[in-house]
Amino acid sequence: MKKIIICLSTLFVFLFTAEVFAAEEGKEEGRFNPKEAIFSHLGDEYGWSIVLPHGKLLEIPLPVILHGQRGWSVFSSSRLREGKAYEGFYIASSGKYAGKIVGEKNGEEYRPLDVSVTKNVLALFITAVVVMFVLFPLKRWYRRNPLLAPRRGLGVVEMIIDMVYGEVIVPVLGGEAKRFAPYLLTLFFFILFSNWLGMIVVFPGGANVMGNISVTLVLAVCTFVVVNVSGTKKYWKETVWPDVPGWLKFPLPILPLIEIFGVFTKPIALMIRLFANMMAGHLITLVLIALIFVFGALGAAATAGSTVIAVLFAVFMNVIDFLICFIQAYVFMMLSTIFISLARVGSKSAS
Amino acid sequence: MALFEPEFGLVFWMLVVFLILLGILAKFAWPMILKSVEERADFIDKGVQYAQEAVEKKKQAEKDAQALYAEAQRRQLEIVQEAQRLKESIVREARKAASQEAQKVLEAARLAAEQTKKEAEVQMRRRVSKLSLEIAGKVIREDLSGNKAQEEMVEKFLNELENKN
Repeated sequence: MKKIIICLSTLFVFLFTAEVFAAEEGKEEGRFNPKEAIFSHLGDEYGWSIVLPHGKLLEIPLPVILHGQRGWSVFSSSRLREGKAYEGFYIASSGKYAGKIVGEKNGEEYRPLDVSVTKNVLALFITAVVVMFVLFPLKRWYRRNPLLAPRRGLGVVEMIIDMVYGEVIVPVLGGEAKRFAPYLLTLFFFILFSNWLGMIVVFPGGANVMGNISVTLVLAVCTFVVVNVSGTKKYWKETVWPDVPGWLKFPLPILPLIEIFGVFTKPIALMIRLFANMMAGHLITLVLIALIFVFGALGAAATAGSTVIAVLFAVFMNVIDFLICFIQAYVFMMLSTIFISLARVGSKSAS
Repeated sequence: MALFEPEFGLVFWMLVVFLILLGILAKFAWPMILKSVEERADFIDKGVQYAQEAVEKKKQAEKDAQALYAEAQRRQLEIVQEAQRLKESIVREARKAASQEAQKVLEAARLAAEQTKKEAEVQMRRRVSKLSLEIAGKVIREDLSGNKAQEEMVEKFLNELENKN
């Protein structure tokens, strides 16, 4: 398995990432700008570019859904290609909204309500479908063969479920494990497969989904809601009026302030951690590959040398990133579990 | 920097996708999967427990069998000893009974012999007294037979003689 992963990551890093830059370089007809290239890959796009051999670019058009001054407008992202405008909307090339769809109002750029299915949104759909394609066969297996251990791929999935459920959720939440397990397991599998799909450089994957703060924000808010909605009376009492010497609470509510602050910092830390880790994984690979093109300007020998070194490093980082993908999903899920268990303090069934 | 600013569209879609996925999985996948995983774990635990109990039982059975065997051997020995003892006591009893019987027979024989002797003695005395009286009558030419006093005298002499002997 490990060998296959290493081989695949090498292949992908070598073939496709290089092609992306090559294509871009050709398109811009100028000096390679690593910063721009890297950040455009880390961010979101309105279409999904697939690089074909010989620098050809296949762009999958995605639906653009906007609510501007004249109501809703839905059209294909291919209409906005190469700076073209459609229905008064175009992709801003610079300024505050660079790379986003803007409209024009009174000679000024404004941002319409934008719920377009972008590259990252499509990646989210794909992730959800993949997660279901991983879990529903397992369910079918159990329905057909009760009390029989699943084999091969399903066995791996079951092992992961057992690792998450049996070794984190149940020990931490005790009697309430069943109640919160669906949320925590869904969270874990969604993050995990999103991360792993992000490591595949070609079409179905490669989007920097969990390295996007909007996505981790939603996950963190979900955990925040679950934690605080399921909080017991004792949890709120400990938050608002903790059991400490009186002078820490009155006249200046130092500790209650810290506690209430903590209620918000916990999910924020979750959000930042996942976002930063996953973005960093993509960033490192991109930077290493960009090095080839930076040194490429110096001549053939430098290109060859930097290619070998950069690819070696990129493969190494990808192998680590593969692990980090798992660890970050695990950490997010584990911390959510712990926050829930902290909020369930004093409840009868949790022990 | 754009990278650190949440985008409304993506937040919206992420929320939609995640909640739908959560709904579908929580309704159709997780309960079944978790139930099956736990059921199998319980089943395996039970199997292991059952096997352990079986091993324990087997050990216990072996121990019991050994104890039973030892007990049987002990009993066998006891029975043999008992039989031996019984045999000896029967033989002893029989011997005792036989000797007692023999004693009785002997006693009876002795008594019979004594009886006979006594009878013989009585007859003897009668004959002796008769003869003595006849002899004495012949001597004094007088018939003394049938004379009560004479007979008593002879009897007295005989008793004296007997006592002297």
